[in-house]
Amino acid sequence: MDKSEISHHYSQQFNTDLEEIKSNVLAMGGLVEQQLEKAIEALRLTEIEHAEEVVANDYKVNAFDVDIDERCTKILALRQPTASDLRLVLTVIKTTADLERIGDEAKRVARMAIRNGATDPGRNLYLRIEHLGNQVRDMLHRALDSFARMDVEEAIAVAHEDRKIDREYESIMRQSMTYMMEDPRSIPLLMDIIWSARALERVGDRCCNICEYVIYFVKGKDVRHTSLEQIQKEFSEQDFS
Amino acid sequence: MRNSWIEEFWQLVLIVLGGIILGLLIGYLWQVLTLFLLGYIFRNLYNLQRLIHWLNDPAGVDIPVHFGIWGTIYARVKRMRSGHHRRERRLTDLLGQFQSSAAALPDVTVVLGPQGEIRWFNDAAKTLLKLQSPQDIGRPLVNLFRAPELIGYLDGADFSRPLDIAAPGDNQRKLSVRVTAYGEGEKLLIAQDVTDRYLAEQIRKDFVGNVSHELRTPLTVISGFVENLQLASEQIPKHMARPLELIGEQVARMRSIVEDLLLLMRLETASREVPKERVDIPELINLIGQDGRALADGRLHFEIDIRADLCVEGDAGLLRSAFTNLVVNAIHHTPEDGSVTLSWFLDGDKGVFSVTDTGEGIAPEHIPRLTERFYRVDVGRSRERGGTGLGLALVKHVLQKHGAFLEVESTVGVGSRFSCVFPKEFLIE
Repeated sequence: MDKSEISHHYSQQFNTDLEEIKSNVLAMGGLVEQQLEKAIEALRLTEIEHAEEVVANDYKVNAFDVDIDERCTKILALRQPTASDLRLVLTVIKTTADLERIGDEAKRVARMAIRNGATDPGRNLYLRIEHLGNQVRDMLHRALDSFARMDVEEAIAVAHEDRKIDREYESIMRQSMTYMMEDPRSIPLLMDIIWSARALERVGDRCCNICEYVIYFVKGKDVRHTSLEQIQKEFSEQDFS
Repeated sequence: MRNSWIEEFWQLVLIVLGGIILGLLIGYLWQVLTLFLLGYIFRNLYNLQRLIHWLNDPAGVDIPVHFGIWGTIYARVKRMRSGHHRRERRLTDLLGQFQSSAAALPDVTVVLGPQGEIRWFNDAAKTLLKLQSPQDIGRPLVNLFRAPELIGYLDGADFSRPLDIAAPGDNQRKLSVRVTAYGEGEKLLIAQDVTDRYLAEQIRKDFVGNVSHELRTPLTVISGFVENLQLASEQIPKHMARPLELIGEQVARMRSIVEDLLLLMRLETASREVPKERVDIPELINLIGQDGRALADGRLHFEIDIRADLCVEGDAGLLRSAFTNLVVNAIHHTPEDGSVTLSWFLDGDKGVFSVTDTGEGIAPEHIPRLTERFYRVDVGRSRERGGTGLGLALVKHVLQKHGAFLEVESTVGVGSRFSCVFPKEFLIE
């Protein structure tokens, strides 16, 4: 691993602490990835058991959140890190918060799967949600990979995917509204579908945030409210247009 | 060596003689001699410098001096050097060969250091785990392969069983991961792509599940009508009564096979967790004992020997089915005047429920296969008695759910003992 990622310290313990919070965040990421996957599978296969597991395991995600925040606070208080070390700790804290929210969205999707049990609305619609779900899962995985490798190019590429997700979400909305107008009795079910799609779309936004944190860490620049084009121009050699 | 010293000696003699002759010629003997000797010294110093220069040049092939001691020194050092080069090349080649064969291994191979950091990985790891070289060398593997089960597996020290897990980023691919610890905290991680095997299992399970479900309904219908017909016995011609009875029996048998299969499917596919209720084993045994005695019907001696007052954490219904299966088996395999004993006792720190009979026993070659589905020791007799062949498979699965296992001891002509061994963790006072 590139030594410049975590600058060398006279205190080996400090190094270890920084490595540890990074690994902790990624372990939390792994758990959240699994939660999201199970929730989407439950929706697709109407498998209540998986959905119940997701709801039951949410406490683990929260436990991670609390633990990592505590560690980061300790590091800030005791070591008073500067420069890239400080940016690392801040990046970890923010990423943890976003991951915890993603965990909540997964729980929401799981609850929806439980509520709707064995009913089968439009095959078509569920397929669209499944497609959206897979895209979001992929985005989360790649976002976490880019965090693990502190890879700016990959982070930018992943942030770019969010557009596709927004488009997919919009088309699910349109389709749902059409169904609702055709058959008002399907409205409760379709409302649930819209909620799930919204939850997934929000997960996509959070993945985007994580990518922005990666860019912030590596480049030392806060790009949270910068447009994607601007980011590309400054940091990327790739051409996305 | 002696030759070079002799050469050196003669060289010195020549210089001294030359000095003396020239000195005598021009009349300054001692000055000229001193000059010549100084010349010799300076030349040696110069040679020292050349040697240092030559040693510093790693590619040095040409030997500046061939004569005398210096020649010998140069020759020896050159030999040593080329010897080193040769060995180094050989080792590098060997290492290269080894790495290319390891790289070509079809299974994912990753070498991990004591902190779980990646030290080396092969091509299969690049493809299946999406690892990148050289960026990922030195990174903890679990930063990139983040599944919680893997993190737990690597943290624990128990690598006796492989871990079945989905590949990162591609959950259609299933990997079977094995880890070996060696050296000073290093670990070797090997993962096989078992997607095909997994899919085949899925297909098999789905098939069995579907078939069983599909058969249930027709069988229920037939069974219902058979009952109806039997109830209207006055309207049935006498010669049809017996066939109807046989039809009823066979349909009942088919239904119990289907139910057993479905139960097995449920046990196999459901998650590990078993409802954690407190099951009072002594009470359960007494209940089963009553049923058993009724079934034995005075044909044989029936005993209950409860020596421990322990309960077990698990599912009462499943345990009752499992134990009942064993008891019924024992009763069916024991001839008249034989005996069947149910015991519950503590063996060390494990709780054991055993059913002992004085039946015909089981030959050693059958024992490992007893819990296979539909396996029969004596096909003809078992079918006639109406067994489904699934009883022991069910027992095995139920015990597995409870962290327990089945032990079978038997001697032909003497009897058998089937024991359910519950480890300490699942026992409650």
